[in-house]
Amino acid sequence: MITPSSTSRPEIAYVLLLVQAVLWTVAGLSALPFALGGEIHMLGLGLATLLLALFVCLVGIGILWRRRWARRVAIWLEALCIAGSALLFLLPIGANHGPVALITNLVLPGAVIWLLWGRRTRAVFA
Amino acid sequence: MYSVSASHAIGLIGGLIALPLALVGLRFHPRRRSVPGTVQAAAVLMAITGGVHLALIPDHLDSEPFTSALFLLNGVAFITLAASFTWRWWRLSSSALLIATVLGYLIYVGIGLEGPDQVGIATKLVEVTALGLVLVPVRGEHAAHRGWRHAAIGVAMPLLIVISGATVWIVDLARPDARHVHAGALLQATNTIPTPAQVDAANRLYAETKTAITPYQDWRQAWAAGYRPGGSTSLPSTHWMNQRYVDAGYVMDPHRPQGLVYANTHHGPVLLGAMFQMKSLNRFGPDPGGPMTAWHQHENICFTPFGFEFSLMTPYATCPIGAIDISAPPMLHVWIVDNPHGGPFGVDIDPSVVAALDRT
Repeated sequence: MITPSSTSRPEIAYVLLLVQAVLWTVAGLSALPFALGGEIHMLGLGLATLLLALFVCLVGIGILWRRRWARRVAIWLEALCIAGSALLFLLPIGANHGPVALITNLVLPGAVIWLLWGRRTRAVFA
Repeated sequence: MYSVSASHAIGLIGGLIALPLALVGLRFHPRRRSVPGTVQAAAVLMAITGGVHLALIPDHLDSEPFTSALFLLNGVAFITLAASFTWRWWRLSSSALLIATVLGYLIYVGIGLEGPDQVGIATKLVEVTALGLVLVPVRGEHAAHRGWRHAAIGVAMPLLIVISGATVWIVDLARPDARHVHAGALLQATNTIPTPAQVDAANRLYAETKTAITPYQDWRQAWAAGYRPGGSTSLPSTHWMNQRYVDAGYVMDPHRPQGLVYANTHHGPVLLGAMFQMKSLNRFGPDPGGPMTAWHQHENICFTPFGFEFSLMTPYATCPIGAIDISAPPMLHVWIVDNPHGGPFGVDIDPSVVAALDRT
């Protein structure tokens, strides 16, 4: 039985951030073979993406531990993701608009913001 | 992999119908408040994946009765578990079902019984997320094996996502369908075998183009005509683009190809061929040679302005940071050097040809 005052929103956000971190890890790793093929900038982008994935993982742990900074960082990060993804969805550059892109780039960040938003949720963060 | 298979589209509708039904069912569940939000969220996600599996049954019933039976079992099991989240063994059975379902899909894709598509990948993402929610302990909850559950999340979720992505990607690249070649490039639909008239037309296009671009074997002349390297010159070959011709939208004009392809050899750029490019996405150019001169469109490439470099978008629709997902308008190459594996209009140049040019 859980107490009425407790909320598991931070735990749900933690799981979503972990999923996002792994997705970025895959994106970072996917750039590395191209670096081996001679695209040297892809090495930098791949490593930067892996660092971002690690950072998102740490933010997720911070949220699990109810740290205020983690909540703030997560909201900003996800807002940035949504803004970038919305641009990709709107610009006529042939970006993928399939259900996976929708889930990964819009629904997941939107869900994290929704989970961490609001006065009641903010109150549980130290 | 980047499109929704026609036979799976109904699965998306099934999942979308299951979502509001699950939310309503949860709202009126008598013991909803006795479990944490993570469990409720996992139940909703499992109901969605159950809905996807059940919706896929009718389309597979005639051709794949065994798969349909598995869909039925899976769908019913997911919905039953979604509704019985207060059961003592709920976490264990839900975790087992979710892991088995993801692995089952990967086996199906791996042995070619199912083609990877957006519905499959999206459903696996939902299932892995549900697994994380099933396992995560909540503060204030009397949770047994808290440490083990955290460890399971840390191992199972990354492992399943990475294995799923790798399997789907490898299968998609190793077994592309008839219209996908060369790292996912989409080929123009044509007849299968060229007619004699199409062979003649292709030969004419080849001869005209080869004559027209011969002066550009001296890269300085190409530079003077407005062609500029469109990417890194440290790669084996580089496309030089003429922005004026791109903007003008000339259609397959042998005297004004939008691009030239040069091998980057130790003795300077060596002309490999020309590239015609259409101005807009999804509009393939004229195809005089039928299957010999089919255009292709590169889709879902991650492009970065840093060095004008490319990588491929992952099955999860993500690119490295600093790169964005784009598609390039349809193009047709005309190789003026021997291209043993692809022919004079091949989608790509044989790397051994480029390597041999560098050695000479």
